Amino acid sequence: MVVARQGGGVVLVAGDEHAHALGLMPGMTLATARALHPALHVHEADPDADRALLHKLADAAERYTPLVGVAGEDTLLLDITGAAHLYGGEEGLLADARQRIAARGFHVRAAIAGNPVTARAVALFGTGGNIAPGCDAEAVQSLPVAALGLDAARRASLERLGLKRIGDCTARARAPLAERFGKDFIDRLDAITGRIETPISPRRGLPACIAERRFAEPIGHEEDIRRSLLTLAADLKRILEKRGEGARALELTFFRADGATRIIHVETGRPLRDPQTLLRLFREKLDGLADPLDPGFGFDAIRLSARRVETFAEAMTSLDASEDFEAEIATLIDRLAARFGARRVQRLASTDTHSPERASRLVPAQSVGALALDFSAFAPVETEAPPTRPIRLIEPAERIEVLAEVPDGPPIRFRWRRVLHAVIRADGPERIAPEWWRTPEGTATRDYYRVEDENGRRFWLYRDGLYDRETGTPRWFLHGLFA
Amino acid sequence: MVCLRDIMVAELAVTTNFSFLHGASHPEEMVAHAAALGLTGIGIADVNTLAGVVRAHVALRETAAKESGLKIAIGARLVFADGTPDILAFPSDRDAYGRLSRLLTLGKRRAEKGACILSIDDLIAACDGLNLILTPPRRLTLKAEKQLDALLAKLPSERLWLGANLLYDGYDRQRLARLRALSERHSIPGLATLEPLYHAPERRPLQDILTCIREHKTIHTIGRILGAHAERHLKEPQEMRRLFRHWPEAIDETLRFFAQCRFSLDELRYEYPDEPVPYGKTPQAHLEELTWIGASARYPMGIPETVRNTIDKELALIAELDYARYFLTVNDIVAYARSRAILCQGRGSAANSVVCYCLGITAVDPTEVDLLFERFVSAERREPPDIDVDFEHERREEVIQWIYQRYGRERAGIAATVISYRPRSAMREVGKALGLSEDVTTALANTVWGSWGSAPAENHIREAGLDPTNPEIARAIHWAEELLGFPRHLSQHVGGFVLTRGRLDEVVPVGNAAMDDRTFIEWDKDDIDALGIMKIDVLALGMLTCIRKCFDLITHHGGLKYSLATLPREDQAVYQMLQKADSIGVFQVESRAQMNMLPRLKPEKFYDLVIEVAIVRPGPIQGDMVHPYLRRRQNKERVSFPKPAPQFGPPDELERVLGKTLGVPLFQEQAMRIAIEAAKFTPGEANQLRRAMATFRRVGTIHLFQQKMVEGMVRRGYDAQFAAQCFKQIEGFGEYGFPESHAASFALLVYASAWLKCHHPAVFAAALLNSQPMGFYAPAQIVRDAVEHDVEARPPDINASRWDNTLEEGPDGRLALRLGFRQIDGFRQTWAQQIEDARRDFYDSAEDLKRRANLPKTALVKLAEADAFRSVGMDRRAAAWAVRRLPDDEALPLFEAADARELAPEPRVDLPVMPLPEHVAIDYQTLHLSLKGHPMGFLRALYAAHGVMSCADARTLADGRRIKIVGVVLVRQKPGSAKGVVFATLEDETGIANIVVWPAITERFRKEVLGARLLLVEGRAQRSTEGIVHIVAERLVDRSVDLLRLTRENLAPPLARADEVKRPVREAGAPARGVRHPRNVRILPKSRDFH
Repeated sequence: MVVARQGGGVVLVAGDEHAHALGLMPGMTLATARALHPALHVHEADPDADRALLHKLADAAERYTPLVGVAGEDTLLLDITGAAHLYGGEEGLLADARQRIAARGFHVRAAIAGNPVTARAVALFGTGGNIAPGCDAEAVQSLPVAALGLDAARRASLERLGLKRIGDCTARARAPLAERFGKDFIDRLDAITGRIETPISPRRGLPACIAERRFAEPIGHEEDIRRSLLTLAADLKRILEKRGEGARALELTFFRADGATRIIHVETGRPLRDPQTLLRLFREKLDGLADPLDPGFGFDAIRLSARRVETFAEAMTSLDASEDFEAEIATLIDRLAARFGARRVQRLASTDTHSPERASRLVPAQSVGALALDFSAFAPVETEAPPTRPIRLIEPAERIEVLAEVPDGPPIRFRWRRVLHAVIRADGPERIAPEWWRTPEGTATRDYYRVEDENGRRFWLYRDGLYDRETGTPRWFLHGLFA
Repeated sequence: MVCLRDIMVAELAVTTNFSFLHGASHPEEMVAHAAALGLTGIGIADVNTLAGVVRAHVALRETAAKESGLKIAIGARLVFADGTPDILAFPSDRDAYGRLSRLLTLGKRRAEKGACILSIDDLIAACDGLNLILTPPRRLTLKAEKQLDALLAKLPSERLWLGANLLYDGYDRQRLARLRALSERHSIPGLATLEPLYHAPERRPLQDILTCIREHKTIHTIGRILGAHAERHLKEPQEMRRLFRHWPEAIDETLRFFAQCRFSLDELRYEYPDEPVPYGKTPQAHLEELTWIGASARYPMGIPETVRNTIDKELALIAELDYARYFLTVNDIVAYARSRAILCQGRGSAANSVVCYCLGITAVDPTEVDLLFERFVSAERREPPDIDVDFEHERREEVIQWIYQRYGRERAGIAATVISYRPRSAMREVGKALGLSEDVTTALANTVWGSWGSAPAENHIREAGLDPTNPEIARAIHWAEELLGFPRHLSQHVGGFVLTRGRLDEVVPVGNAAMDDRTFIEWDKDDIDALGIMKIDVLALGMLTCIRKCFDLITHHGGLKYSLATLPREDQAVYQMLQKADSIGVFQVESRAQMNMLPRLKPEKFYDLVIEVAIVRPGPIQGDMVHPYLRRRQNKERVSFPKPAPQFGPPDELERVLGKTLGVPLFQEQAMRIAIEAAKFTPGEANQLRRAMATFRRVGTIHLFQQKMVEGMVRRGYDAQFAAQCFKQIEGFGEYGFPESHAASFALLVYASAWLKCHHPAVFAAALLNSQPMGFYAPAQIVRDAVEHDVEARPPDINASRWDNTLEEGPDGRLALRLGFRQIDGFRQTWAQQIEDARRDFYDSAEDLKRRANLPKTALVKLAEADAFRSVGMDRRAAAWAVRRLPDDEALPLFEAADARELAPEPRVDLPVMPLPEHVAIDYQTLHLSLKGHPMGFLRALYAAHGVMSCADARTLADGRRIKIVGVVLVRQKPGSAKGVVFATLEDETGIANIVVWPAITERFRKEVLGARLLLVEGRAQRSTEGIVHIVAERLVDRSVDLLRLTRENLAPPLARADEVKRPVREAGAPARGVRHPRNVRILPKSRDFH
């Protein structure tokens, strides 16, 4: 099930067939659903991802027509005027669209009608299919009034008045209805019956000009693709020349035979139209793709469109070189990461923890926030005081033999790597208990001391385990050297 | 050698869990642990509050800690809003305590609920007599030291100490040296403290979790906000001396400081107000006078000798304990309510005295129930008297306002309720703090926890789809269990009033409530009780509203003027009705469990009702006392009384305690009595037991008494099993105490409501509907029950209804019930008032109504949808059509002035006729009930073909017969005491049926059991000897989808499409728009579910 926070509670917003079969329906609270089925798998709803997915489908639908609109959260509207012949007529296009979208694991409801409102209503509330020209009004007669997309209150009053289907409303005098349900109700009736035109608002502006190739046999060989691109670029050049313009933003759309669509964008610094230059730009882009273009079983159409054009001019301006140091580092990191892999270029980051071993860690250098290093909390109380911790830790800490006063006295002398050190000065203890939520049982509290030996060398060492409370014979370790 | 001086150390800066989300131990734990460690004293100082001090005080007074010689000092940690370091303040005497309390009140009244805003100047203004400890900041930078210098110079130095604490951060020696220098520089003594946040190091993880909750972070992201170690706990005196060995004077100062804190909470006792005592009279004389006047009124034929003796005895006891002012104060409040005709009724131990009966505080004749006053208000135990007064729920606010007026806001306040972590909240917060996903946390929170909030059993966790052996889950459960019972925040008690003689804010800090203009004190009822401060519960009770409305309606329609005390007593018709379990709407006995009990218990006199009220409760059920009592009552078992062995006492020692209940203990008082009589608890021990019962969850000390009680009884020759049962019952009472003294007062309301239902069913139904929401049943069942008792019910109508449900003379002279506008969902009382006010003559159309009553269009739409235009010849559909046409509000002034019709005539429109099932469905949507039929009636034919029986037929079935039944689910219940059995009540057009679902079946049909609105049940009839039929479910089917048939003639678009057949595309499961699950289609009101 997919859930989302609505009002005060968590509510189911969508579910798979299995969930529907169990009686779990959208609108139910998660608590209720859990009461019914404790072992429910739930995921947080991600409307942004849903929208992105719908737009991906819209991209794919551009194979039929560049005029694709998005309505609501689950509907695509296509203006297929003059486009159906490529699929052997409207039936063919409808079948092709259904088959392609369903093949990607979606449930499809689809309809073709004389206007988008009718088509949408028939698809969502009716049986779908191809409505014969001029039959829009007839096709919606039996649909419930809900198909009008009215607010819940008006819909409920219509139903309570016995006006449950669109036919019940269209059969009646319009004036009394308008008086009661408002002018926009009549407008909606007119729209759904096709009495008035409703345009599709395309989700993005139409490109300035387009060159397109469709292939009877899908192509997949690099050489074939290259040749096709060259032809397309030449086609585009002709169009641009006629208009006296050059392209500033270009888009190359690959329609794969199985319905997947790939769009490659290229921006240029100046208006361009030379086919070779255009092609080189796209080649660089294609070579640099993180996930390369995959022809699968081949592309059955390729479209090259100029989305933004400017008057063609000879002059060329140079861009100022950035002197931003941070940006240069970032560029270096990007380049290194691109060559060696993102995980292999690392830098140090601080971790907010009392545990010395965990206080710093290596993170991928590209990860966000890695630049913010903050070890200030370990700084001494006063600026002139000596550091509390060594710069580097000895990992793993080395076992030492220590003579110290119980229970929590500092070391008097200790033996490290066979050498005996007499402690002249000692500071401490700094007591650090294990992170109980992380460590397995039995890890002991440490008492850290900063000590100085007779030769003026300074050490960071700790007693492992509190005397008496945790252990009878605490062990000692050396964890670092002060410079 | 350890010299005595070495072990004398006090810890002054103890933080308990009343510093919410800081302290990780209960005050009781701090006290017990300090005593065990041998500390000389501890100072309780919570963040800007005195909320936890009474708990500590009582823990010391009533537990073994007392013997250790431990003392406590009462204070607070003042945390300032202006950046001043924390200062601990401990009053030296009562006056200084009053100043501290007022200081906290000042800070709290300035802030939002739960917060406190104080500045150092506030403290300086109030610091006379306060001993102060200035705590240095953690980071003793030069800047911080300068700030301390300034502060020390500013504060009066004669009662000032500088706190010296250890941080274990590696700099403690330097730190102490600098603090010592600072203290010498200012001649302010240093005072050693470890600032404990928990009593023992094992609590560190919990403190870390609390910190996460406080900071809204998880344990994985919170970082160094957490303490680095587990040292913030209480330590032994020797250890403290060792830790401060370089500054021993700081340790000695703890004792000197402690000696300066001489204030004890015991000094707050008995500050009862004087108001109700007229000038020149003593309280006792005034009370006696009022009592005898009342007695003459109660017994117009002369006061019986026994009553006279009892009054004498009670008054003597009241005089001895000096409680006269308490009784007079309660009387004062009740007298006010009476003067405003607000129905009220006292309950509680002292309420059932003859004095209270004479004063009119209660209408239960104590001679009828034979409750002995001194049993509850005992001289030796010196418990404060306890009287709760229930008022009509709709008018209680008037009483509250009057109390504020009469006693002044500075002397009257509402008690707090300590909101504690319950299993769900604890699990939820701990899960979140430990970084478990919302999903897992929710699942864990929803698992069933044990009876006393012990961790959920493993199978319940598995049931929730989780692995109990997973360490993260096990950890979350463990700490959630530890967190249980921790105070979370303070909230306003529902009606516990505290009244003092002097200023209330000098007794206890007063803070703002969430509601505007409301304040409440920091202590809860137990705290107030423990200190012997005057309190009275001013509670709201829906049934009192209902009964008063009944009385008013009866008088209004020419009947007698009744009151609770003057209702005809012991009316056999009433008992006969109750014996048949005909009790829908009757106070307390309308629940399913009570309805099952009534025919078995067969009440035939008032005292039986007292038992009836008390027996269906966790106490008697857990103590396994119900069946023995019933067997004895039905003469199936001889009545006998447990006896001690002859050498230990008279054989009838329990007969006096258990006589009225046939030898079976049913009431809380009896269980207590048994502890005293049979286990020979001293009054002091009994008092501790009582308190342990009340604070069961929090302290968990009740098991300490188990051995004592059971062994005590067995030693004296009682049966071990009986002893164990008695104790189990006490445990049961712990959570849901229900004493006889309350049961008696409730029983009177049971009788009164039953009498009204029996003799004035129409009146009762109307009053019940007018007092909603209350009780167990929805309006649909109340109306239906009235109709079944031959009351004619009439629909709401613009020309007949008022806001309230009313009564109309029927053709046969009997009263008919006219539904009021309040039954229409979303209708406003002001609209109803406008309709009533403008209804001089008949409204003849929707337009007429709109114009004359000046109603907004939404009101008219609601009336039309509720089908309230029948009197002008319009059914729901016609009315809706007409109303829809009316202009949207604000009529055109020009036309209004001319009083002309605004709308042009319109040709008649023929709308489709609304079928009856749809009418019924919409009735349910708009009125939550229908007088036109029952939804099941229309579906009957559909089910008849499948052999489904009606509820009425089901009631006649013989034991063991198979049955199939369909009905609307009214109520589902999963009582804690029934071990997972679900009880559901189904309703169809013929009546109701009781369904029992055993856990195994619930497991298999979970979805149906918990989710269905319309439920088909297949099973077997189970007929009890009293003739009650239960259906034990074997198979359940959710038929909710059938409800759609009422409103839509199959409007859902077909899921299989013709053009899809040719091209097999996976399309099933994509429901067309507008098809919703029937559960979400609000045709029927939701069932009332109780878990």
